[in-house]
Amino acid sequence: MRTGKKNIIRLLYTLLSCCIYLGCLKASATGKPISDTTPLSTKEQALAFLDKQTDLTASNFWPNVHPVFFLQNLRKNIENPLSIYEGRSTNFCGYAALSYLPLHDDPLGYLRFMLEIYKNGKAVYGKEYFEPSREIKLAAGTLSFKGELDIRPADQLWFMLLADHFKGYLNFFDKQYNPGDENKTWAAVNFAKFNRMVRNLFNYRIESIGSDLVRPGLRDPVEYLSERLQTGNIALFVNNLDLYKKNHTQLKFAVPTHFVILLNITEIDDDTVAITYWDYGGKTLQRVSVSFLKKIIFGISHITQKTVHAK
Amino acid sequence: MQNNRNYILLLCLVLLFGSCVSRKVFSTNYYHENEKTLTGIEQSFKTLYAQKPFSLGFSDLSFNYISIEIITDSIKYIYEFQINEPRFQDTLHKYNLPADGITNLVNQMRSIHCLWINNLDFYTNNQKRSLVFMSIHPLAIHIPFAPEKYYILTFYSQPQYFDSEGRLLERRRLKKLRKINDEVFRRINDKVCYTISERFR
Repeated sequence: MRTGKKNIIRLLYTLLSCCIYLGCLKASATGKPISDTTPLSTKEQALAFLDKQTDLTASNFWPNVHPVFFLQNLRKNIENPLSIYEGRSTNFCGYAALSYLPLHDDPLGYLRFMLEIYKNGKAVYGKEYFEPSREIKLAAGTLSFKGELDIRPADQLWFMLLADHFKGYLNFFDKQYNPGDENKTWAAVNFAKFNRMVRNLFNYRIESIGSDLVRPGLRDPVEYLSERLQTGNIALFVNNLDLYKKNHTQLKFAVPTHFVILLNITEIDDDTVAITYWDYGGKTLQRVSVSFLKKIIFGISHITQKTVHAK
Repeated sequence: MQNNRNYILLLCLVLLFGSCVSRKVFSTNYYHENEKTLTGIEQSFKTLYAQKPFSLGFSDLSFNYISIEIITDSIKYIYEFQINEPRFQDTLHKYNLPADGITNLVNQMRSIHCLWINNLDFYTNNQKRSLVFMSIHPLAIHIPFAPEKYYILTFYSQPQYFDSEGRLLERRRLKKLRKINDEVFRRINDKVCYTISERFR
């Protein structure tokens, strides 16, 4: 009996040694240590890279995305990252909210990916390999009646690409794109899917509380949010019907449907706060009561940059 | 026991009947009956909006709470006030909004149960255009537990194109319907369209 236990322990030690050895081998083979860092770049680097794209021709993969308008849209996003706009009545808010991160922290990485996918129809971003469906390639650039998104073909391409690639349980019954699906569950984003996209694409560290149905139950949300804003970005998953008062029905299902990036929170008095957030292509400042804030927030993602070798 | 069953059966029938009742049909008649007030609201809003962009509405169905969005180049401010609250006037003055004009607009909107008015951008051949979007709360009987329906009017600056069924088209040659907030709109006249929607904005 004792011999059996010893054998198991020896086997575990052997397996552990092998793992460590293979890890070192992989690191030495690439010639550099394995790093776990959030990639960063500056707006100046991104604009310099964009200035060199003088010979971009029409893509065979994206027949409805004109190269001139594509580049114009990318330049707008780099010069004014807050202007990225999810479009009216679409379900692209989650994708627009996560775009805030690369457009501020790694615009060069975002640009390289966008140009790669435009030219070759496939590309890698972070841990994800994108090879979009034919339907997406034909539809990008054709969306209309969405406000400014109509004239932003690169944003259409980006949002549709993400919706096509990442799937959560909300997309279970509508996985294939059909015209008009940008307003439907095909494009919907649940809280876990949002966090997964941010981790896999941009390699941030995320601490999240809350869920798709149950609120985080914070005693003092103002203190919690203020503290975390000092150290990183905050994405909020909120009930849009309440935030924008989109209907007056008494019987409402309290579910979150909208992602915003919280930029600031200031106490006005004991019961009132001023929140500044980004959504729909711009900043909004709104005065709300603390109880209202508790009511609308279902998910909070605290997103911080990983430094070298951080776990 | 038998009486209770009858009551439950009666209640079920009433609910079933209620769910089948069609709402007061919003037609071109409504527009023509209230044309003067509606176009007055549209014109006032356009004039005031040109001075400083904003959106205006009521956040309750008793029309006692005003919700205003003040739009600047860098940020949008959202405020909510009780209709006679002094803070409302103070805020209008603080942001250099035409206070008298907006107060008159609020009263005009309240008189006709107009819940929301704003300016919407849209694009035709990559050219930016705008329309005035107005939603009205119907005065028809409210059916319990049923979602609210709103009558939406859109006012264009230029004449629009419609198909043979009176549905708003994107362009004359392209037989594609122009949807706003995912709704199909119908013709009232060359520049005004309507729809019935579950969303008022």
